Amino acid sequence: MKKVLLSALLSAAFVFGIFSPGFCEVGITDTEIHIGQWSPQTGPAAAWGAVARGTDAYFKWINANGGIHGRKIVHHYFDDAYNPARTIAGVKQLQERTGIFAWVGGVGTAPGLAVKDYLMAKDVIWVGPAAGSRNWLTPPHKNLFNVYPLYLGDAQLLNEYAINELGKKKIAVVYQEDDYGEQGLEGTKFTLKKYNMEPVAAIPVALGDSDMRPHAMRLRRSDADAVLLFVTPIAASRIIGTGKAMNYNPQWMSTTTCADCPLMMDITQGLYADVITANFGMRDDSEQVGDSQHINNPKMELMQTYKTEVFDRYAARDERWGYTFSLGIALAEPLVEAIRNAGPDLTHEKVIKELENLENFKGMLGRISYGPFDPEDPLTRIGQQSIFLHQCTEDGGSVILTDWIETEYIPMGE
Amino acid sequence: MKRDYYGDVKLFSSGVTLFWFAALIIFLLLYPFLFENYYVYMANYIAINIIVVVGLNLLVGYTGQISLGHAGFFAIGAYGTIVLMTLASFPFLLALICAGLIAAGFGFLLGLPALRLEGPYLAIATLGFGLTLTTVIGRIDMLGGRQGLHAPDLVIMGHHLTTDRQFYYLAMIITVLLVIIARNITKTKVGRAFVAIRDAHIAAETMGVNLVLYKTLAFALSAFYAGVAGGLFAFVLRFIEPELFGFFLSIFFLTMAVAGGLGTVMGPIAGAILLSFLDLELRNILNIPYVGDWLRQLSTSHFSLTGVSNIQFIVFGTILILIMLFEPLGLYGLWIRMKKYWKTWPF
Repeated sequence: MKKVLLSALLSAAFVFGIFSPGFCEVGITDTEIHIGQWSPQTGPAAAWGAVARGTDAYFKWINANGGIHGRKIVHHYFDDAYNPARTIAGVKQLQERTGIFAWVGGVGTAPGLAVKDYLMAKDVIWVGPAAGSRNWLTPPHKNLFNVYPLYLGDAQLLNEYAINELGKKKIAVVYQEDDYGEQGLEGTKFTLKKYNMEPVAAIPVALGDSDMRPHAMRLRRSDADAVLLFVTPIAASRIIGTGKAMNYNPQWMSTTTCADCPLMMDITQGLYADVITANFGMRDDSEQVGDSQHINNPKMELMQTYKTEVFDRYAARDERWGYTFSLGIALAEPLVEAIRNAGPDLTHEKVIKELENLENFKGMLGRISYGPFDPEDPLTRIGQQSIFLHQCTEDGGSVILTDWIETEYIPMGE
Repeated sequence: MKRDYYGDVKLFSSGVTLFWFAALIIFLLLYPFLFENYYVYMANYIAINIIVVVGLNLLVGYTGQISLGHAGFFAIGAYGTIVLMTLASFPFLLALICAGLIAAGFGFLLGLPALRLEGPYLAIATLGFGLTLTTVIGRIDMLGGRQGLHAPDLVIMGHHLTTDRQFYYLAMIITVLLVIIARNITKTKVGRAFVAIRDAHIAAETMGVNLVLYKTLAFALSAFYAGVAGGLFAFVLRFIEPELFGFFLSIFFLTMAVAGGLGTVMGPIAGAILLSFLDLELRNILNIPYVGDWLRQLSTSHFSLTGVSNIQFIVFGTILILIMLFEPLGLYGLWIRMKKYWKTWPF
């Protein structure tokens, strides 16, 4: 009798386990979806903390509008101060104690790489690391969906434009001494090689450098007629300011990191006018080359909705409506879309499938596409490959210089 | 009661100490089964900091030489271990020891200026070493440059250590061994020479203590500890880059040693445990019932946008100030006072 009872119990447990997926899925209940995120609210990269605050405001807005298929998003974000040891601690604590269904954003290459293996081993979805690093795709992972265009692509497009459209012959690179800067330098060398050219100067900038006179003097000595800046907004403003004080006026160019024209005009006190930067979003399909653009782009209805519905209602008192805050929204959009498309019977596998089904998805950024997972093909997880160039104007806006251009993926070691 | 030299050098001064040590070992063995994985990770992080701080204490606490460059030795250990494993195919333990020895070599070299420099001048020299090293590492392609290095699989005698729990036992064995060795060093001729140099280096030299030998030895030993800890740290993060080993890490190590109590073995261990715990856990301060809500309100009313996050640093700093204000000998001083109070109670 005991054996029969035991067998019945075991069978029931087995059947219950197999046919009740709701109980197997981490981070989902009938009423909630738990989503995690880390970002530096303090420390050297605190300016990037607005990414997580943007995502948080976006989720609050979704919840206020009924959530997704009746489930509210519970957003757990924590400050890691850009310290990978803390990122690991926070991620493990949330994943194992609270149970996180998916991670979104996550600022910084080093913090992200410190938790990548762990998250992939836990079979958790991670969408949109907030750094354009090739490390997310080398190798590609089934659960990791890149959104942010790679810095290598910025370098390609900027160099191509400088040579082909502006006729520049001497290109110099100023690069930050980290993954971001190194990839900018690599992308530049890769592109210039096609034209049998080399950078006339490649000048490293340490994160703590404040006096940019030596850098500017080397640039002037190199006689570069175009200078590509793969640095932080503050470093870019200092280099341009120092260069202009020396009466050195090449065509300054920079990346998506320094694409926030209103912010850059503000911190350079107007010196950022005419600087050309790569840009990855906030552009409506109807906008053409030569059109003026602004962060409060009236043509982009989605952008205006986020400004009035998300930012004005849910952002903190001192928050600034800008690219960093809105990037937090943009990185979360593909995940929200996939969860929505997965329907009410939400599972991890369904969300992955829906992410893979995204083709030319258009939110605030450019077109985002994934494909069925292929461990040999990073393009199945790259997300957005197209970017465009714009030129900052004196009023804090910008002028569109190119159409969306698809950049080439450069594998490691080429 | 210590009545002779042999009583002083004994590893366990009494049966009671031996009992508590055995209890600690049993607790450490059972720890991964008692606590969830997050706390196992925390234990690994704390163990690594304990190794660094125990080594730093040999230099600062026992020999009286300041170092603001220990993050540099830590980096040498981390990079050395990974490079020896990936490029020279060394097994992990051999790579770890060799990386520790490389760090010790750099420690010996840094010890040479210490023969002529003291106090703030030595602090600046060691600070320069730490800052320069990360810049140099960032320029060497073999070390991954600024893009960093990924740690290879950790295999020990055919066993792949992939989880925090598996790594825990490795980290704990190494930590306990290194703490016992450090404790023994302090009781030997070498340790006494260190203390003599700290208390009065001219008198020590007059008594026949070789300053060149012992000062450089103190630097080398301390750097070896930091190197081994760095090698373990590389496998906790699984990825390293130069920016991880910045100036503030050196300050953090020194703070742990001072807050724990310099010149003792147990003090820095207590300091490492407390400050590592606070470093990871103060992030959760806003989740404390009532206190968290009050802090959040305070922050949104009076602080800046990221004021809530900065509260953890304010609390961290306040705890350090309180320790130094009320117990300059650090946590170990607190322990001594408690012990005295208990022994003499009710008088």
